Amino acid sequence: MRRFARKIRKMTAELLDLPQDVLFDLPRVTMIGNAQVHIENHRGVLHFSNERLNLSISIGELELTGSDLVIRAIWPDEVIVEGKISKIQYMRTEGSN
Amino acid sequence: MNGPTSFIRGYVKIMIRGERCEQFVNLAAGKNVEIWDMRYMAGQGMRMKIMLADFFRIRPLLRQTSCRVHVEARYGLPFALQKMGRRKAFITGFFLFFVGLYLLSSLVWKVDVQGNMNIAEDDILKAARAEGIYVFQWSFRLKSQEELSRQLTHRLPGVSWVGVEKRGANITINVAESTKPEAKQLMNPRHLVAKADAVVTEIFTEQGRAKVRKNSRVKKGSILISGIIGSDQNPQAVVAKGKVKGLVWHEYQVSVPLLQKERTYTGAFEERNYIITGNRALQVSGYGKVPYDKYETITERSDAQIGPYKLPVGWMTEKLMEVHYIERHITEDEARKIAMEHAKSDALVKNGPDAKIRDENILHQEVKNGKVYLNIHFEVEQWIAEELPIIHQ
Repeated sequence: MRRFARKIRKMTAELLDLPQDVLFDLPRVTMIGNAQVHIENHRGVLHFSNERLNLSISIGELELTGSDLVIRAIWPDEVIVEGKISKIQYMRTEGSN
Repeated sequence: MNGPTSFIRGYVKIMIRGERCEQFVNLAAGKNVEIWDMRYMAGQGMRMKIMLADFFRIRPLLRQTSCRVHVEARYGLPFALQKMGRRKAFITGFFLFFVGLYLLSSLVWKVDVQGNMNIAEDDILKAARAEGIYVFQWSFRLKSQEELSRQLTHRLPGVSWVGVEKRGANITINVAESTKPEAKQLMNPRHLVAKADAVVTEIFTEQGRAKVRKNSRVKKGSILISGIIGSDQNPQAVVAKGKVKGLVWHEYQVSVPLLQKERTYTGAFEERNYIITGNRALQVSGYGKVPYDKYETITERSDAQIGPYKLPVGWMTEKLMEVHYIERHITEDEARKIAMEHAKSDALVKNGPDAKIRDENILHQEVKNGKVYLNIHFEVEQWIAEELPIIHQ
């Protein structure tokens, strides 16, 4: 039944040309150069230090690496990170998407 | 998050220490606690800023995650106010300043009167004072402007309208005076008598009883228009009014020298310029001796002005005009003409307005010591009435 529901959603997304984050609860990551990252739809902070920020997301974990990281603002489902970002990496994601 | 709202509501910079800082942040964000400028400080914990209101809401979360909080700095209006609360004198002075400003600006500082011609300003100000318009009066104690202008119009005699205008701390009273007919001159009962011996040529009686007629001969001092009217048993004294003209004889003795001295300008002139301040003048140009024997000085002074204001400095120009005296011999005939002109104008000026020379005769003419002596007789038609008060016995 879940698979069916997902299929329907995917079909709708393709038919109506809707962005996937709206339907699948996926994180939307907006990046401005390497200075600012805006992540919507996160599920909480797992680790935060000057060099690394781990965020929990619906499909696993998102890791930002860099230096001088600052959380400019944080809300229940949104976070703005600033600093010198060198890497964004998805971890422990399930294969299907 | 550093907008004006956060400043007004107040925010704090805190340091969170503990093993589970991240969890605390997640919980706080989940409870809609606004967190910004979060930074990891190695060995100390996490530094962040939160709203003052939220600060009191995070206590249970801290206990839950066994974190410790330390306030590093306070920002915003609530803290500033608290600080000010401790400086009572300063705050009092601050408000007293505004109170004083308000009070001073609600005083009347100046009362002006405009448009009065005949009524003294003091009288108007006195009336205004009685209506409560005076310097150092509270403006809020003043009556309405219509009321004031109505009352003042009542109070001041001889005005048709009074306008009271308040502009800031100044009050302007505009007065429109009513134009009154000229007051009649009060006069005592009187006669009109002759000023000189004369022959009456014209008599017009406005009030009183005419005693003479046209062509009658009058002596000086005789009554022309009597101020006593009514019957002999019941006389009444009035102000005699009227106009009497008569022919009066005048004799003039005039002498005119046969050698006439005339003064003329030669046209040559020198100019001297001065700068003046007050009563002192500093010569700027035209130094040197005056090259003329005889000269006349024409002085022109102009004060510097800025708009309507005269400055205490000015410019003075002196023009030295050379003059020349000419001697001219005239004939006896010319001398007589000149003498006649002199005598005529003198006669006309002396004998009042509307005097007319009816006849002129040269009684005697002789040349003596280089002068022409003339004895002229004029018959002048002029006003001859003079007032003489009636004194009751």
